[in-house]
Amino acid sequence: MPNELVSKKEVLQLTGISYGQLYRWKRKGLIPEAWFVHRSTVTGQETFFPKEKILTRISQIQSMKEQKSLDEMVQLLSPEASTAGSTWEPHVTLKAVGREAQQLLWKESGYTFAELVALAAGSEAIRAGGSRSTAQLLVDILRSKEEYLRDPAGAAAVLAEKKLDREGVSVCVPFVVLAREPVTIDGESRAIHRVDLERLVERVKLSLGEVQ
Amino acid sequence: MAKQNVTISGSGKIGGGDYGNVRISGAGRVDGDITAEEIRISGSGRVMGSAKAREITVSGSGRFTGDVVADSFQGSGACAVEGNMKAGEFRCSGSQRIGGGLTAHYVRCSGTLAVGRNVETDVFTSSGKFNIEGLLSADRVEIRLVGDSQVREIGGEKIEVRGESGFNVQLSLTRGFRMGFGGGSLRAKTIEGDELYLESTRAEVVRGVNVRIGPGCRIDRVEYSETLEVHEDAEVKEQVKS
Repeated sequence: MPNELVSKKEVLQLTGISYGQLYRWKRKGLIPEAWFVHRSTVTGQETFFPKEKILTRISQIQSMKEQKSLDEMVQLLSPEASTAGSTWEPHVTLKAVGREAQQLLWKESGYTFAELVALAAGSEAIRAGGSRSTAQLLVDILRSKEEYLRDPAGAAAVLAEKKLDREGVSVCVPFVVLAREPVTIDGESRAIHRVDLERLVERVKLSLGEVQ
Repeated sequence: MAKQNVTISGSGKIGGGDYGNVRISGAGRVDGDITAEEIRISGSGRVMGSAKAREITVSGSGRFTGDVVADSFQGSGACAVEGNMKAGEFRCSGSQRIGGGLTAHYVRCSGTLAVGRNVETDVFTSSGKFNIEGLLSADRVEIRLVGDSQVREIGGEKIEVRGESGFNVQLSLTRGFRMGFGGGSLRAKTIEGDELYLESTRAEVVRGVNVRIGPGCRIDRVEYSETLEVHEDAEVKEQVKS
């Protein structure tokens, strides 16, 4: 079951980590705030986690912690939480998000994580058959809204277009909606491309890990 | 170009921006976000925006309507931050109110501290009174209770809460002469950690590895995985080894 929850106590038993480590990793941003699910149970307030995500993350941390410092791990595992100013070089960026990104936003150096995610969304839209100018809309809105990237749970960006037919002139206006699910658009508009931000952020992190 | 130093010693107002040393010893106001090397408020200072500096000291009355970021923050007067506070070292011996969360490496509080959201730090030591509406998370938590403190949740590695012993007398210029029995107390919903020692604490759930419940505690439920000691003057309604 992908949405299975596991209690904090079970996590400690299964992984052998201590309360101290769990709280420290949360403080550093290695375990996202959004994964902490507070539930009332018969024995009082308890904290649960999405089982698959938390166990994967803890084993990643455990396998890395001998060679890497906490801050380096944050860079790799939760770049959205890493201290402002972390940037990635163009060659790393293009490998991580796709060559298409070059047409959308070109920088000599130092892409921020928000830009990386924005570019990944844009590249994906182009690969799905979108035009450069509509993909650009996605890139522009995503890189300006970092708060969605820090907490991407349930957030989606929808690239849509609206056809306007007035007195024989017909135009197609593309637009992007960035919101938390459920995202609805009016019936006269057509969604072209939908981006699940949580999945996208995860994917960018993974590919960053691979190319670094 | 060297950054400009500003001193307001009467009554004055400056715009936001990038400064060297900013001193407010009269009544001063900063309109907008400010970045500086050092900000010292010893009179009454208001920053209508966010503040970022290497060192911030408030010994009079200070108010920040935005976020505050400093390597070192020291408050010994009355200070209110309406946004979040992020500091390397955070010391408070006066009265400090933070509307958002407090993130630091080191927190030392001997005055009164009120925080609207979470406190996240490596070390938290308090010998004052605090009211934290969110989670207090730290590797080491050392609390000497004075007055009644409250926190929703505490989580960390080593957590130690000690009550004032017996009869206590306090003499201070601002609060006058006080004496009384028992000293302080702490209320929390949950306390979780590896090594716990608690006194004068009222909590719903305490979870830990090695747990010692000292005098004056009333705990609804203790869950422990290695050892548990309960003092004879403590009340634990339910204890579970897991």
